Amino acid sequence: MLLPEHEFSKPASLRDSLTELAEAGGEVKLLAGGTDVVFNMRGRLFRPDVLLSIRDLPELQEVEQLADGAVSLGAGCRLSELERHALLKGYPGLIAGLRAVASRHVRNMATLGGNLNLDTRCWYANQTAEWRAAKGPCLKTGMEVCHAIKSADICVALNASDIAPALLALDASVVLASLNGERTVKLADYYTDDGVQHTVRRPDEIMTRVLLPKNSDRMAYIKETARKGNDFAYATIAASADGHGNQCSRVRIVLGSLTTRPALLLKTAAVLVEHGLDDTTIKAAVGEVRDELGALTNLYTPAAYKGRIARALVREALQQLREQ
Amino acid sequence: MAGKRQLMTLTVNGDDYEMLVSPRQTLLDVIRDQVGLTGTKEGCTTGSCGVCTINNDRGEAVLSCLTPALEWQGKSITTIEGLEVNGKLDALQNAFLDYGAVQCGFCTPGVLMSAKAVINAFDHPGEEDINDGMAGVLCRCTGHIKVKEAIRNVADSSNETQRERRDDGQ
Repeated sequence: MLLPEHEFSKPASLRDSLTELAEAGGEVKLLAGGTDVVFNMRGRLFRPDVLLSIRDLPELQEVEQLADGAVSLGAGCRLSELERHALLKGYPGLIAGLRAVASRHVRNMATLGGNLNLDTRCWYANQTAEWRAAKGPCLKTGMEVCHAIKSADICVALNASDIAPALLALDASVVLASLNGERTVKLADYYTDDGVQHTVRRPDEIMTRVLLPKNSDRMAYIKETARKGNDFAYATIAASADGHGNQCSRVRIVLGSLTTRPALLLKTAAVLVEHGLDDTTIKAAVGEVRDELGALTNLYTPAAYKGRIARALVREALQQLREQ
Repeated sequence: MAGKRQLMTLTVNGDDYEMLVSPRQTLLDVIRDQVGLTGTKEGCTTGSCGVCTINNDRGEAVLSCLTPALEWQGKSITTIEGLEVNGKLDALQNAFLDYGAVQCGFCTPGVLMSAKAVINAFDHPGEEDINDGMAGVLCRCTGHIKVKEAIRNVADSSNETQRERRDDGQ
């Protein structure tokens, strides 16, 4: 089946891409690896007027060590390159996140920026156009109704990025470029609760870099999924902490694939900083998880299952942190 | 808005092709319908099955169904037809024959190009490397074990002479 009608454009520089983006008359979709965008175009969920390829922009490919120990990653770097990059050797938790994505084939194409901007997923919207035609459009496709969760007044599609939780646990930031210059946004402030407009990136902006602060002392990453390879997650967890043994500081716990915005569990983490990583405190922290996650939906898996798997993953990740 | 066709050049298995391509065509469409090499198969077209796998200019496995053809302007790719050189099958193809690593054969082009990428990437691929390289391509006749045995056989350096024998087509 052919892709929907569109113009294809591939400017040679970031500047030209931003100009074209700013001056475009219709809807523009940015194309990097294509593994998500082309998939959604096949399902006719995306029908852009213009497909703007940014995959080979030289400005998006660099990986460099910054003066303060941070690492800057080009948003256009392919996942399989980053997996084995020398500058990321000290970030095993992030590498686990990179390797958790789909299959080797997909990671040879997919980019870091593409994964962070992965469209949210829903079992209704992510079907073929013919399948959806039986029931009609939803919040994602122009109607004020959700067919997946009847009571929803906002799109509740899930964030399915495997890498976002790992980068959130490391407190990464992203750099967004437009013709007006650059702005840096903490990844923790990048996602929203609306499955349709699920990031704060404006239509005239391109994500150029990801800034990775100095690594935490310890990090755990787990992706829970039906099959080990080539599958979306039931849930992912990334947890990081400084300190050794039971002592810990700067704890960050992030759950992915359960909600529209990856869930950064601040209250749960606060329990641990106060009392350490002993069994009693981990138990107390796990007790906080369900409350802190807030409302969960039955999208893909039942809400009760989501709550149970969230608690199990937090317990497992914290135990892993303690043993590192 | 009707997308304009664009003139593009693509190197497939060492041969240059110049053609008018619509934005609506994926790389897979162009390989099969315009270049005319139908060894590369169309399966799920959603990135799950891997039968459309080809190798890019770095010898890595990529999915031709999930990428617009115009993205590949000026690039070089290898398809299943490029494995055979001067009438001689690739060592992997011979190993697949020896091990019976083929059942219905529909996934085999994708399986072979994925396997080729594993051989390209590692001198001595371990069990994990082979699993990782082959997880993105599915055989619905359930023939993964023999496939892995064939790959391991070709990859195993202790089988150097056997590899040469295979390359000789004996």
